[in-house]
Amino acid sequence: MPNRRDFYRLGAIALGNLFALAVAVPGVKYLLDPLGKSSGGGEFRTLTRLGRLKVGEPQAFSILSERRDAWVKYPTEPVGSVWLVRQPEGSKEPVVALSAECPHLSCPVPLAPDRKSFLCPCHQANFTLEGARINEVAARGMDRLPVELSGDADPEVRVRFERFQPQSAEKKPLA
Amino acid sequence: MLNTTMNWIDDRTGLRSLARRVLDRPIPGGARWGHALGFALASTLAVDLVTGLLLMSTYSPSSSTAWGSVYYITYQMDLGWFVRGLHRFGSFGAVVLGGLFLLRLVLIGAYRAPREVHWWLAAGTFLLILGLGVTGNILPWDQRGYWAAMVETNIAGATPVVGPAIKKVILGGSEFGNQTITRFHALHVSVLPGLLVLCGWAYAVLFGKDGYHGPAGSETAEPYWPRQALYDLAASSAALGVLAALTLAFHGYSLDAPADPSSSDYPARPEWYFLPLNQLLHVFEGKEFIATMVIPGGIVTGLLLLPLLDKVIPRKFAYIASCSFMMTVALAAFVLIGVAVYKDARSETFRKDRAKADADAARAIELATLNGVPPEGSAYVLGLDPLHRGGEIFGKKCQGCHSLGDRKADEPSAPDLKGYGSLAWVRGLLENPGSPAYFGKTPQCNGMSKWKKSSQLSAEELDRVAAYVASFATIPADVTPAEWLDDPRVKEHPGRELYEGECAQCHTLGVPGDASERIQPAPDLFAWGSPRWAARMIREPGSPSHYGYLEKKKAQKMPSFGGQLTDADISTLVRFIKGDYPGSGKGSR
Repeated sequence: MPNRRDFYRLGAIALGNLFALAVAVPGVKYLLDPLGKSSGGGEFRTLTRLGRLKVGEPQAFSILSERRDAWVKYPTEPVGSVWLVRQPEGSKEPVVALSAECPHLSCPVPLAPDRKSFLCPCHQANFTLEGARINEVAARGMDRLPVELSGDADPEVRVRFERFQPQSAEKKPLA
Repeated sequence: MLNTTMNWIDDRTGLRSLARRVLDRPIPGGARWGHALGFALASTLAVDLVTGLLLMSTYSPSSSTAWGSVYYITYQMDLGWFVRGLHRFGSFGAVVLGGLFLLRLVLIGAYRAPREVHWWLAAGTFLLILGLGVTGNILPWDQRGYWAAMVETNIAGATPVVGPAIKKVILGGSEFGNQTITRFHALHVSVLPGLLVLCGWAYAVLFGKDGYHGPAGSETAEPYWPRQALYDLAASSAALGVLAALTLAFHGYSLDAPADPSSSDYPARPEWYFLPLNQLLHVFEGKEFIATMVIPGGIVTGLLLLPLLDKVIPRKFAYIASCSFMMTVALAAFVLIGVAVYKDARSETFRKDRAKADADAARAIELATLNGVPPEGSAYVLGLDPLHRGGEIFGKKCQGCHSLGDRKADEPSAPDLKGYGSLAWVRGLLENPGSPAYFGKTPQCNGMSKWKKSSQLSAEELDRVAAYVASFATIPADVTPAEWLDDPRVKEHPGRELYEGECAQCHTLGVPGDASERIQPAPDLFAWGSPRWAARMIREPGSPSHYGYLEKKKAQKMPSFGGQLTDADISTLVRFIKGDYPGSGKGSR
């Protein structure tokens, strides 16, 4: 049989929990705010014309974009860079775009001194000029970015820049 | 297993016996609602602490980023408005509950021997709550906080002898700036809360020693658990309920426009709990030190000395005196707040200034949402806005002579600039150059009117030539006259031939020809109506390509603003005149 004492006891416990929840629930939702924000997919940007790229000589290009950092909006500035690798005549894709961000730990990847492969200076992750892994430092090859060519005689090369999670074997976009 | 762990913890910490001591604490005379006031105050402060920590995870203390981060919390983050609103209304709740708590300690006689130190700690807590309010109010670096802090620090600066030094130390310099915000921030998030927790802890220790203050002569006692616990939690929940309801009703706490040290008509007001002191400033006009020093100093000294009154006058009289003192202060504060609110509500000026401040705030928030905050800092949200900044300059520098649609000139003596550079403006000019909207108010510029009298152009021909002239406004800044005239679209423009036949008799087009061949001097029209032409007009109207020919006449001329306006201000002003800004319906960016 519940009596007066039980009513006080249960009431106190219930109110205490209610109070804590009323603050904790909005607080947790507020703290988890970044989970609901997407970085917003980029758009295709023109980097160069196909005729200016030579087979076997990858060239680096900066990706220029407006950047929004929480409340601040920065004017157009470099946000990343890509390697454009011209493929031999008759290949399925005339040009391959590789994000210069290392899939290992996101260092920017330059060409090796012999210019025959990509070699990350941070932890020596090594990739072929097509971006495939040569050693096991990174969990996957360099990330290919979508490329579009315009219809001109000397087509413009357009690339959509995107970032991917480092370390994982799969290529997962950083949302 | 659970029991074993609990036993182990209790063995090492004594937690269980502590809990038992608290829960079984006897309350002389039984549980009371009045006893719950202190717990409600403590839990409200706890809510402020939690919401404060949450806000700290986003807030960025510098004069260029503070407003942007608070904007982000309030308008972009999930429930940010709720967390910030609860923090702000929570501070109001703490002031109210803290005041009531002090009042009750006096009324029930729990402020004097043997509880003098309880009282001092409680009074210290209340002062710390006020200090947290003052230091927190400035942190958003919006107009409200900025101007309230300006008044408060100037009052501190008026303290005899040490005032100026105190002010300089508080502000971190002689002006408001980054150092001001970092110092207030340090006080608000660490020093004052640290002292507050210390006060609360010391109070709890003393409370553990002396226990509840029961009615005199009560012989029965009831343990804390469970009835008083229910009362405590019910009172706390009610307080939180009211604060949450206020937060919901106002949808959080509003954010004013970013702090603007140059604003001239912002109606500065302190937080509501400082309105009594603000009112006293009016009461003691000319003898302000009474309102800023003597009265607050007297109240604080009175609070601190209350428990010692017993030592000099009989206990009974001391009690009556203490109660009267507290009631008088509380009542006076209440009345003065009422007077302040009533006076503002009745004041036409206050309502007008407040409406303008609200419009600025809404514009700043709209721009931050559309464009983000510029990297230069939040002051530039409105500072670079053509509508706000450009409109302000127009009012100060141009509106003496020029109208702009609804914004009427003080004494119209120049064209109306509404739609300047547009097809409609040009077509209207060609229709009736002598209208007051064009050159009707400037008899020294009568060339267009003379042309109109002799011109035979039909309406359709006027349309064509107007379209040609209006296209000048779109000439990009890096195109030379030769390049432009060579463009096939310009060469084949249907209005060009008419222009050459009619307008070119007086106006050149970027290529200065033989002046003697012209009927009368007139401005060069290359890029007329474009930002660069307009900027040159503002900077140097007397340049040869513009109205230089007027220099020889003694007629009234537009003054040059080259030395008075920065380049950024001129381009902002031009964009304002041309309606080129976000939210105007045709804005770029």
